[in-house]
Amino acid sequence: MDSLKEDLKKQIIEQLNLEDLTVADIADDALLFNDQGLGLDSIDALELIVLLEKYHGIQLTNPEEGKEAFKSIDTMAEYIRKRKAA
Amino acid sequence: MGVCITGIGVVSAIGMSVDENLSALREGRTGIGPLHYLQGTKASLAGEVKASNDELRAALGVGTEYVSRTSLLGLQAAREAWGDNKRSGVIRTGIISATSVGGMDRSEVFYKDYLAQSNPDYRLLTTHDSGSTTERIAKELGITGYINTLSTACSSGVNAIMLGARLILQGTLDRVLVGGSDALSGFTIDGFRSLMIYDDQWCRPFDDSRAGLNLGEGAGFLLLEGEKSIELTGNKPICNVSGWANAADAYHQTASSPDGKGATLAIEHAIRRAGIGLDQISYVNAHGTGTKNNDHSESVALQNVFGDRIPPFSSTKAFTGHTLAAAGAIEAVFSVLAIRHNLIFPNLNYRTPIAETGLVPATQLETGVEVNAVLSNSFGFGGNNSSLVLTKYE
Amino acid sequence: MNKPALYLSAASTISHQPTFRNPGFSAALAPVEASSALISPDYKAYIDAGLLRRMSKILRMSVACARDCIEQAGTGQPDAIVVGTGLGCLQDTEKFLNTSLTVEGLLPPTSFIQSTHNTMAGQISLSLGNHGYNMTHTQNTLSFEHALLDAAMLLREGDRNVLVGAADEHIDILEDIVAQLAFEASAPLTSAASFFVLSVENQGDAKAVLADVYTVGGTKYGQEDIDAFLDRNGLQAGDIDLALYAGTPVQGAALNVDYLSLAGVYPTGSAFALHYAMDLLGTNSEVRNVLICNGLRKSNLGLTLLKAVEA
Repeated sequence: MDSLKEDLKKQIIEQLNLEDLTVADIADDALLFNDQGLGLDSIDALELIVLLEKYHGIQLTNPEEGKEAFKSIDTMAEYIRKRKAA
Repeated sequence: MGVCITGIGVVSAIGMSVDENLSALREGRTGIGPLHYLQGTKASLAGEVKASNDELRAALGVGTEYVSRTSLLGLQAAREAWGDNKRSGVIRTGIISATSVGGMDRSEVFYKDYLAQSNPDYRLLTTHDSGSTTERIAKELGITGYINTLSTACSSGVNAIMLGARLILQGTLDRVLVGGSDALSGFTIDGFRSLMIYDDQWCRPFDDSRAGLNLGEGAGFLLLEGEKSIELTGNKPICNVSGWANAADAYHQTASSPDGKGATLAIEHAIRRAGIGLDQISYVNAHGTGTKNNDHSESVALQNVFGDRIPPFSSTKAFTGHTLAAAGAIEAVFSVLAIRHNLIFPNLNYRTPIAETGLVPATQLETGVEVNAVLSNSFGFGGNNSSLVLTKYE
Repeated sequence: MNKPALYLSAASTISHQPTFRNPGFSAALAPVEASSALISPDYKAYIDAGLLRRMSKILRMSVACARDCIEQAGTGQPDAIVVGTGLGCLQDTEKFLNTSLTVEGLLPPTSFIQSTHNTMAGQISLSLGNHGYNMTHTQNTLSFEHALLDAAMLLREGDRNVLVGAADEHIDILEDIVAQLAFEASAPLTSAASFFVLSVENQGDAKAVLADVYTVGGTKYGQEDIDAFLDRNGLQAGDIDLALYAGTPVQGAALNVDYLSLAGVYPTGSAFALHYAMDLLGTNSEVRNVLICNGLRKSNLGLTLLKAVEA
């Protein structure tokens, strides 16, 4: 089990008040901003930017940059690892 | 005769009066710069009114310290619009103001001390609620009876003018002072920063490189009178409030719809209400905040309504900053000035058209045109879209 | 000016009392207790989960009441949505104020977005997919009366059905503020939302007629203002079967009930009184004329006159 991905799911549930969901409900490759996935919107995208800074110390100042990074849990984890390695 | 505008007043980053604002608009002089009076915020640029609270209180003769800057700015503009008019037992007079945060400028001072448990002054909260902002202005002017406040985020100011016009047409009031006021606060600056639409550089409405807004502060007021009132006051009408509309975008909490649905409805209905043709609109004072989303959506709405025959348009927010609930009222005053002096104001900081829409705003002050009718747009959070049509008094 | 009668065809209230989806509640209402809790219906039945997760108390209450009301009225999409709120979205306002003063890094935007007074009206339009006139009045204790006046004007301008309501929410700091400012509340501070459908026509099941609404602000008022209002409506105080009042009872009315003791104290409590009056008019045929006299603040007077629907 990838602990970064598990942590991300917990953090997302808390930051976005997804009270009905548990970690097990979010697939690693589920599309976060698609209605078939979590159905998040532009306000959530901003909350995710806050989450990245708060829990992972990563600053993302251009919301456009988030679009690619926030596709799924997989892409978020990858983005975090890349930024931390840099 | 309809609903006439017989008095105007304005205070903004570009001046303390109608004359000062007009000079700055003519000279292309912005009021946006580093903050001087409001300290401790993270904004690098804002459109601050160039006076402290103490200076405003002294100039306005307001004794109490328990008054919000929102009320002081409102009173400054309302007094100018009210002019030498007298109270009357015969003319039913009301006041409608608009504000988004009311006395937040005072409340945040309280709350900071409250959190630090450092002897917070609870009396600062007596000016918190938006209604009290208007009650204070009404009290200073001696207006009693119909006193009301609207709060629909950034469209509030236009909505106050619209409600005032309707009250006169329905015979509920004979004259009504309408407008809006908002002071800068750490709360709103942080709010727009949290949305990542606060530009640390000078805002660039309708430019392809636009990256957000600069907040501003100020107030605008207009005195509206119906036929009966004008017969008694003898005031000379400057303009007519001819058309208005409000429509909900019902698309998203903050974002405007990509097809500009709510904005299109508001513009179309306002022009229809005015009973004039699309080609009779001489100038559009756009909402044009400088955010990616608004300026795109508004451009699409203008194309929806006017096709390829869009009248000269500009946003004046690069002069004043975005003054939230005051914006619609301040820009209505600017629209009156456009008609009165046959002017089209420049859209500062514009260089390159937005790629998707290709619209080009007016970039130079135009003086040689006849301005008979102005459309002024104000769009707010929650998809609240309002448009106003002002016409030359014939 | 001769004002045509307007019909109240549906009402929905979430409060500290058993008001929600409970016709006839007015018959057995005890005074609100300090310990009484705000009722909490199954919000998921009224609000899309995607919207619900972000909603504070005032937003949930407002959207659920609005939807319930529209469903009851059966009139379809309203032509307009008009809301009154005295203090707006306090929970989100305080939350963002706190964030703004304590968090050093990036700030979460949701509470700022939802701090604006028009969030209720905006969320209702979003929830209904409504593109009509959308307005929010905030005039202290008269916010609801101003919303009603606006709704009545819209109907005279050609609209058929308008959704009009009010909401205010309690947050803990209010108790502290009230104590510090020595504001004497005659009943516990509460939260509530009430929504109504106001129509030009009686579609057969109207509960009450809205005969007139009047506000006066910024001045002292007295019984003579109330008498003058009734006189304009062809009535005298003795014709009022029930006066629901906040502040001072209405002299001459057959029965006076302090509605704050039932609703608790919040700026738009007169909306609770309106629903109470509608419920009573719908169930008790002996009550014909009800006057709501809102004198919650000494310098503001709001008067709302209701009549039974003529059979």
